[in-house]
Amino acid sequence: MTSQTNPSDALAGQAPPDDPTYGEIVWGQFVKRKEAVGSLLGLALLLLLAIYAPLLASNKPFLWQVDGEGLSSPWLKALFDRNFFENGVDIFFNTLLVVVTLVGPVVGAVFWKTRHSSRKPRNRSRRRALLAAGALFMVVWTGVTLFPQQSQKVVYPRLEQSLQEEGKAVMAVYAPIPFSSRDGDLDMVRLPVSLKHFLGTDNSGRDVFTRLVFGTRISLTIGVFAVALYITFGTFMGALAGFYGGWVDMAIQRVIEVVICIPSLFLILTVASFIEERSIFHIMIIIAAVAWTSPARLVRAEFLRLRNLDFVAAARAAGYRESTIIFKEILPNALGPVLVAATFGVARAILTESTMSFLGLGDITVPSWGQILNTGRGTGIWVMILAPGFAIFLTVGLLNLMGEGVRDALDPKLRK
Amino acid sequence: MLQYTIKRLLLVIPTFFLISLLIFVVLNVAPGRPGAGSQNDGGESSNQQQKESFRIFKEQFNLDKPILVNTRWALETADVRELLVTAHKLEGDVTAAERVDAEVDLDDFGNYLVKHLVVLLDDSNPEVQRLAAATLVSAAQLRFVSERRADPLEARRVNREISKANESVKTWTWPEGAPAEQQAAVSASWKDWYTTNEGNYTWTGSERVDAFFFDTRFAKYWSNLIHLDFGISTADRRPVFETVMGKLKYSLSLTMVATLLAYFIAVPIGVFSAYRQGTRLDTAVTVMLFVMYSLPTFFTGTVLLRLLTEGEPFAWFPTGDFQTMSSAPWTTWDRLKDIVWHLVLPMATYTSVSLATLSRYARAGVIEVIRADYIRTARAKGLSEPVVIIKHAVRNGMIPILTLLGGLLPALIAGSVVIEVVFNIPGMGQYIFNAIGARDYNAVMAVLLTSSFLALIGILVSDLSYAFVDPRISFD
Repeated sequence: MTSQTNPSDALAGQAPPDDPTYGEIVWGQFVKRKEAVGSLLGLALLLLLAIYAPLLASNKPFLWQVDGEGLSSPWLKALFDRNFFENGVDIFFNTLLVVVTLVGPVVGAVFWKTRHSSRKPRNRSRRRALLAAGALFMVVWTGVTLFPQQSQKVVYPRLEQSLQEEGKAVMAVYAPIPFSSRDGDLDMVRLPVSLKHFLGTDNSGRDVFTRLVFGTRISLTIGVFAVALYITFGTFMGALAGFYGGWVDMAIQRVIEVVICIPSLFLILTVASFIEERSIFHIMIIIAAVAWTSPARLVRAEFLRLRNLDFVAAARAAGYRESTIIFKEILPNALGPVLVAATFGVARAILTESTMSFLGLGDITVPSWGQILNTGRGTGIWVMILAPGFAIFLTVGLLNLMGEGVRDALDPKLRK
Repeated sequence: MLQYTIKRLLLVIPTFFLISLLIFVVLNVAPGRPGAGSQNDGGESSNQQQKESFRIFKEQFNLDKPILVNTRWALETADVRELLVTAHKLEGDVTAAERVDAEVDLDDFGNYLVKHLVVLLDDSNPEVQRLAAATLVSAAQLRFVSERRADPLEARRVNREISKANESVKTWTWPEGAPAEQQAAVSASWKDWYTTNEGNYTWTGSERVDAFFFDTRFAKYWSNLIHLDFGISTADRRPVFETVMGKLKYSLSLTMVATLLAYFIAVPIGVFSAYRQGTRLDTAVTVMLFVMYSLPTFFTGTVLLRLLTEGEPFAWFPTGDFQTMSSAPWTTWDRLKDIVWHLVLPMATYTSVSLATLSRYARAGVIEVIRADYIRTARAKGLSEPVVIIKHAVRNGMIPILTLLGGLLPALIAGSVVIEVVFNIPGMGQYIFNAIGARDYNAVMAVLLTSSFLALIGILVSDLSYAFVDPRISFD
């Protein structure tokens, strides 16, 4: 059935639909699978959990008022407070929290409104909306990074208690879980599971559930950024090797071979131990430094196949520059396998990071899942073994499921 | 095929060399030196003895040498003077870090300084003269030869002579504010000594090239490596190679048995699952394998350990270790039983991950093959179903999982860290984990090198077997 004979189109008086692009075909294949869509939704929920973690758990009250005067929101102030959220990752996610809350609905509305328009105007307005949101994010993020705020440390639940003892009327509205992932209470060490502490407390009296929730931020950040880093580098190397061949290929191949042979976890742990104050940025770089070989090999193979095809010859004949041929002509066609590798790669990076922190060679200042599990192993407390284990399993499982969905969606053999 | 084999075999050598180069550079540019803890923390005069012992320690482990290339013969007298001045804060402002760096350089440059220090004995600044003489004492010391190789008796004799020569040089300094005659006398004896020994401290063209490449940490390390000498552990002062070989038997037996086990279980599961593709049983198996695949090893290990060993809720297995400590007098059979008993949990953990990966690939491999024309032909010929499946489908479907072995090996070896740390098995993984903590560079290096070598060989074997099994693959 061609579009001209489609009665619904004629009735609505709309332009005939465009031929689907490659991306649309793949997306169409992807959403056909229940598991794939489910995993994508699950991951989106995890991301939302990571972004809105402070809304769920924070020991700063949303609203704070003493004796009916001076209403303030310590929670809002703490979002960009480097004394409360020491870590760059938290600042990053808090910026996301603010920006997503502010412009998320607008972007969503743009997407929803343009869902029926034809491709060109639709893509244009969608791209504009996304760009504006991204720009806002960058501005806020740069601002809060360049001008760090630092305020005095106040433990509000304690303050409330002492103020009430003085006979003052305190109005405080807390998050559902009034604990911080960082501040422990040494009077409440290793408490069992209760309604107050869903998963008990750890050796320093910190609420395990809160740490687990904030651990989502760490795991997702490490997974996504480490993979972005090594996919970029690996793709570049693979493209060079595959396109030029000869001694370039030979040299890059040797390097890849060398890196593959060294058992990666040994190398990762060794290098990690050398860094005095490991931050999760170091960990990302270390993971990226050993993992870039797999996208490099994939892209190389694709380039070897593609560089002899006619469209490349045509591009050469048209007098395109080499960089244009590599990055604009061949590379987009070579990215399919890389996308699959990237999705599985995020899962593996998360596993690697949690292994590192499990062995005590991660970033000890952040609430990482592996670290909680290590505490669980040391103390033998079941909750602290099972809960972080389940969190890792869930995240890794969802990512693997999505990776399989992407792989199947890209595989033309499985297409009907 | 033969040509390909030979090519691959020859490539092992440069690859291993590059691996060692990479590991070596990574280890050596890393901050935090072994033994640095024993260095004095600032007290200058009182810790002369300690400083000297640290210098000898560095010499023994070649830590005073440059890492990859040596350009120290190109030093100028002015550079050396600068170092002396900085190290002792004689002129201008010097930060603590600069001072420490200069001190370390003065320690490390050793023989390469002698030529310049002799010139500096006549420096215009009397303090520089004094320091030049003081530095000469350590710089002019001859190195002891290693007693661990070749002819120990001969080495010991040579070392005695070196020691005697060093002893005479040691006294040639003067304290601050010493009379001029004493200074002149010491200066003169240094100059005399230098004229007789000049050859040792100046470098001709070819000697420079030699020093450039070979008077380096890497070259020294490799020259030892060729004799399978991986150096001495800074932690227990025993040869690292022997320790690693001792640890290897635990890790290797664990890895190999786990891999074999994984293959033996995974292939039937995968084949069965593929044969019954789409049934409820297949779905159940697939889901189970997916769960196993996504579970982190350290989690599985910890749960098993917590669940099934001493204490609650079950006490079916021992809490770890390779065998019972006091098992030495037992009979071989009892000891074997004991070891197996200890290894059930680590093995289960170890196998679970590779098992999941392998079965998934086995299933995919058989599914791919089972639709092929020759399977239909085989059925049409009237062959019995088991023959079709086992002889025709499985054999060809298993080719992909054979190559997987190559990729799996480095991961399995590395995975031993987690298993061995969790279950307290004294293998390579635990050894490197402890060595990393203790900054025992020789040990870390040795484990990295041996494990990389094993992985290299493993990958080679699996590539070759791939080419051997699948006649469709040809290598030019």
